[in-house]
Amino acid sequence: DSLLGEVLVVELNTAEPWPENATLYQPLREDQILLSDCASSLAVQAYLRMCGLPVRVCCRANAEYMSPSGKVPFIHVGNQVVSELGPIVQFTKAKGHSLSDGLDDVQRAEMKAYMELVNNMLLTAELYIQWCDDTTSSEITRPRYSSPYSWPLNHILAYQKQWEVRRKMNAIGWAGKTLEQVYEDVSQCCQALSQRLGTQPYFFNKQPTELDALVFGHLFTILTTRLTSDELSEKIKSYSNLLSFCRRIEQTYFEEMNGLIIIVQT
Amino acid sequence: KQSKAYAKFAGAPLKVHKITNPWRSPTGILPALKTREEGSFSQPSKIIIQLRKQKYNADYDLSAKECADTLAFVSLLEEKLLPALIYTHWVDAKNYVDVTRRWYAENIPFPLNFLLPNRIHGRQLERLRLVRGDPTLEPGEQLEKELYHDALECMTLLSQRLGSQKFFFGDSPSSLDAYVFGHLAPLLKIKLPNGKLQQHLNSLDNLRQFCTNILVLYFPSESREAPAKKVSNHADGGDFDNEPHKRRNQILSVLFAVGAMLGYAFLSGIITIKHTPARLEEPHVDEEEEEED
Repeated sequence: DSLLGEVLVVELNTAEPWPENATLYQPLREDQILLSDCASSLAVQAYLRMCGLPVRVCCRANAEYMSPSGKVPFIHVGNQVVSELGPIVQFTKAKGHSLSDGLDDVQRAEMKAYMELVNNMLLTAELYIQWCDDTTSSEITRPRYSSPYSWPLNHILAYQKQWEVRRKMNAIGWAGKTLEQVYEDVSQCCQALSQRLGTQPYFFNKQPTELDALVFGHLFTILTTRLTSDELSEKIKSYSNLLSFCRRIEQTYFEEMNGLIIIVQT
Repeated sequence: KQSKAYAKFAGAPLKVHKITNPWRSPTGILPALKTREEGSFSQPSKIIIQLRKQKYNADYDLSAKECADTLAFVSLLEEKLLPALIYTHWVDAKNYVDVTRRWYAENIPFPLNFLLPNRIHGRQLERLRLVRGDPTLEPGEQLEKELYHDALECMTLLSQRLGSQKFFFGDSPSSLDAYVFGHLAPLLKIKLPNGKLQQHLNSLDNLRQFCTNILVLYFPSESREAPAKKVSNHADGGDFDNEPHKRRNQILSVLFAVGAMLGYAFLSGIITIKHTPARLEEPHVDEEEEEED
């Protein structure tokens, strides 16, 4: 999202209140959406619920193409379209809703650093497992990604996306990693998150912030998605405070999904 | 002779690293260069491996929470600051031509001095395109604005986190301090025509003080030269050609070449420095000066 776009959004929307018909767009839930997109979408949904802002979730096969930045999820609020958690947080802040106002400078710096940690390690690991691990890619990712389309478009789109992601992984130095190393990175990331969380209910004690939403989105999705092996979710399960953190947020903000630590994707 | 010094300087971080480049270079510079290239966005995992292997030796005084914070801030630096640093040295047209490429043209043996800089320039631009998902990206105002916005915010966040402390986790340095220093020091020391990042860093008093502090403590020869360097740069308008400035420039180039890797040199340095402050740092500095004569 460009800086210019963000500035425009801030200037035009300070006055208007949050409308009732705000909508969040993501790929199809049952057959299409991938681990990484599901995590990002859940993070945004959690954040909006924590702010008390209502939003309808709308599943579209072409959500990725509808998005202004090419990434999902995106929200359609009034006549504005904003994608990805970072810009959405800025957007809601401009409308007067924020979860991190009560933080001091040091805490805010830490919050941003931990959000980068999640993006840098968890999200990248999810993308790697989805697209760079041959087994996962052929058994789960490509079939799911291409499910709305018919032959030959489905193959073309899936392989094109895979090629794109693999090139990016190469650019950031992840292409040379083995699956084991990636699992290890996830474990290190979880250890850091677990250490930071400690015995607190949320990362900054009593009130959740966008960091809590982001961590919940990723951890919950990994725990509830079936992949070719259980190793990823096992890594998270070994940190009990992270597990209870996820349950707590699920119970508080997603009551209708209560007790849904079961497999939601096949 | 200088290259031997560089090799020693650059050698230390390389040994600590599992670098994937197979070839040993004829000069000491190239490994540092290659590392500079490789030392891109995958650093946090290398740091993790490193910290674990060393059993947090430089950080044994840190609590579990502080170790976690280290990882988080390293990620922040990798994502928000490093792209801008690479851009400002390798992609920004004026900086690249006037400073970076010129330095390499003068200090690397033929024919590499013609081939290498352009290759790195192209590769870094390509990398930026891939990471930002935009194949048509061109170096220019828009890209610069976005990258610098992130970098300035990152520096401000670091400044806020540092507060009025001497180091990030209290009174003694840790690997995070080394890492931050390694990224910020080249910015302070190397004068660039397009110096927006430098300006912002200079406006953050506590960060600048932090860097100067470490420079004085662990690189006394460099910090002594600093005032003289500023004067000469103004006089020549940043021209690196002149003989009298060559040694200074070469010292600066060492800092530049191992900038991102300084954290690792520090890691081993800090372990020893904690126990015997003055003694162990001396040979390091002396070697360099000897070699350059």
